Amino acid sequence: MRNNGKFFVGLGGVALVVTYLIWTGVSDTMLYYLTPVELIARVADDPSFHEVGVKVSGRVVQGSWNRAENELLHHFSVVDLEDEKVTFPVEYRDMLPDTFNDTDIVDVVVEGRYREDGVFEATLVLAKCGSRYEATQEELLG
Amino acid sequence: MTLLGEAALWFALPIGLWGAVAGFVGGRKGRGDLVLSAEYSVYAVFFLLILASVGIMNAFVTDQFQYWYVANYSNRELEMFYKVSGLWAGQRGSLVFWALLLSFFSSVAVFTNRTKNREFIPYAVGVLLTITSFFLLVLLFAEVNPFERMPFAPADGRGLNPQLQNYWMTIHPPTLYLGFTAFTVPFAFAISALLTGKLDTRWIVITRRWTLLSWFFLANGVIFGMRWAYEELGWGGFWFWDPVENASLLPWLTATAFLHSIQIQENRGMLKVWNMGLVALTFLLTIFATFLTRSGLIESVHTFSENTRIAFIFLTFMGFIAAVCILLIAWRYPLLKSENQIQSFLSREAAFLFNNLILLGAAFTVLWGTLFPLISEGFTGQQMTVGPPFFERVNLPIGLALLALMGIGPVIAWRKASRRNLIKNFVAPVVVGAVVVVLLYLRGVHHGMALVTFGLSSFVMTIIVVEFVKGTKARASIEGEGHLLAFFHLVSRNRRRWGGYIVHVGIVMIFTAFAGAAFDREVVQTLDPGEAITIESPFGHEYTLTYQGLSSPRGQNLLRQAVALMSVEKDGRPIGFIEAEKRLYVTWEAPVTEVGIRSTFLEDLYLILENVNDLGGAFENDAQAQRATFEVQVNVLVNWIWYGGFIITVGSIIGLWPSRGSTKPAPRAKTGGKRPALATLG
Repeated sequence: MRNNGKFFVGLGGVALVVTYLIWTGVSDTMLYYLTPVELIARVADDPSFHEVGVKVSGRVVQGSWNRAENELLHHFSVVDLEDEKVTFPVEYRDMLPDTFNDTDIVDVVVEGRYREDGVFEATLVLAKCGSRYEATQEELLG
Repeated sequence: MTLLGEAALWFALPIGLWGAVAGFVGGRKGRGDLVLSAEYSVYAVFFLLILASVGIMNAFVTDQFQYWYVANYSNRELEMFYKVSGLWAGQRGSLVFWALLLSFFSSVAVFTNRTKNREFIPYAVGVLLTITSFFLLVLLFAEVNPFERMPFAPADGRGLNPQLQNYWMTIHPPTLYLGFTAFTVPFAFAISALLTGKLDTRWIVITRRWTLLSWFFLANGVIFGMRWAYEELGWGGFWFWDPVENASLLPWLTATAFLHSIQIQENRGMLKVWNMGLVALTFLLTIFATFLTRSGLIESVHTFSENTRIAFIFLTFMGFIAAVCILLIAWRYPLLKSENQIQSFLSREAAFLFNNLILLGAAFTVLWGTLFPLISEGFTGQQMTVGPPFFERVNLPIGLALLALMGIGPVIAWRKASRRNLIKNFVAPVVVGAVVVVLLYLRGVHHGMALVTFGLSSFVMTIIVVEFVKGTKARASIEGEGHLLAFFHLVSRNRRRWGGYIVHVGIVMIFTAFAGAAFDREVVQTLDPGEAITIESPFGHEYTLTYQGLSSPRGQNLLRQAVALMSVEKDGRPIGFIEAEKRLYVTWEAPVTEVGIRSTFLEDLYLILENVNDLGGAFENDAQAQRATFEVQVNVLVNWIWYGGFIITVGSIIGLWPSRGSTKPAPRAKTGGKRPALATLG
């Protein structure tokens, strides 16, 4: 292998290009992944955080979902999984996944920007009914 | 029946462990009786796992809801088809299914090698049974036993997630599992080669069909998954860059690299350490895929429940395998010396090498992006994520480089390409690619990356077509055969090479389909019956969809169904109807969206019933409750993914088809270099 200089030149070249792609890709597209509590604390700390793209995981507040008439526009509220007092409204202009509703216990991940008016403008909503995929024995009995 | 299955699972573990020990000890001490016992253990474990699987299926079919697993994934009204496939619907059953497939492939490998390649068998069997035993251990001791009973039997089960009640979803996971488990065979022979020190190309030749088989299943598994997402998730996309999807892509990427790099070892005696590393890495990634799916470690970071015990067991196992592989390769390093060196960047070795490096680079970026939340939390304490924009951005240039190499690799000369070789092979394809780009641009295609993709695709396709034409003509004139017969003989005499080219055609089609997505259109509108949506296709024509109204029939396992009917006109001419639905399943509270698709060769018309203003009324067939919101999409070239998948299947089958004397090592051009480039790929 000692004389395989060209092999290592190729290896190094590809490694450099891949590293560059990953580096720029990560720094341009990465998002903070926060809980609602963390998000509220962040923006209180640093108002410029309103402009930063974030991903927040929480739970849909039951009964909070409104759909605009004749328009693809959804409003609902998300609450922190641990601190029930921390909650914020979400606005979303696209189709919600089938798993989304506000009658069950639905965990969501919303991606977007927390606007200065206190509304989270989501560009992506992922939902999972945490309790519905597998049940405990108690739930099966009930 | 089900009790028998449960007992079988318990018997399989000691037999598997015994066989693993007997294989290793028998190989070490040269004890034929122990080796034979190990081989019989392989068959025995397979038989016991059949019993266990039949036991689970039986529990599903006969509605035995006292079993936790059955109660969670079935209900009385569930269609029989989905009851049978309940075996792999959830984590617990799919682990049994995994072990079953692994023991099946192990049995086939042992059986086909019962009279040949005996020097590899003891350790190979030892490795295969070690891995099978690992899965049995997990099943029996990690709280995931599918035969776990509850102290009571619920009146009915909770039903299968409606999104899994789809044909593609029942064949997608097994196809992936087939791919994952089949790769264990090349891995086992590689470890055996390291242990025995027989490190020539024998182990590669013995297992190259297994590698191709595994690759073929992985490719189809991934494509079936895309098909499922496209039909069932109802947003018109086919790939999310979701951690579990990525996990299935990773071993496919490294297996692709391995399929190519073993050709360099066979032909030029190079890259031996590299190939050992790749076979180990690919195997580890198949385990990683199960690990990621089972443990829920990545998605669960903030919200969803995780099985930390399984995560810990799998991580330990992967660490153990990785350590063993590294130690073995280091130990055998002197025997893995390269026989040749790369002489020029303008050579087939170099093209294949770059293909390997780039595929590995792609795998690394996908792995990095998938694990990024964990990495960032580990280093900064703050979780960061990257999503589809990251993966698309990074993999676009990587994919285009691969596409270009797919054209260059097969026709550039070994060792060092002459000027003549380059001109002869590449001038025409480059011209065709350039002409296609110019023509498309003049026809109004101005998307830069899509143009590059279409140009490169034409370049690769031209090279492949020219190869086929040249080969057929040469054979026709030498053998005096008709062109059709000559073509048939050409392919059948060197199936691996021509099958590979056909697979390349399928891959090119899939790349083209990805680029086509840049031209997708969509329109969202709320309608009353009689109103219409118009959408313009990028191909110039216009669709008009007129809403006819909602109706509410009732199907099996469904409580209610609201079906929206639209009549479709293309440029004012009626061409038929399209339906989209909301369904309410017996066991599922939330309604499920079912899309309508009208496919043509170049584009799909894709209809989503986004919302019904009064869904309750619609379910009751209320004539007033008709107002609904629709999304209509024109998805360009999306069908080419499925066509490409079909062509990949055809090419793989040609490559897999047994030919006489196929296990003999291919003659290798060692030093002389008189052999024409075409003949050496065999």
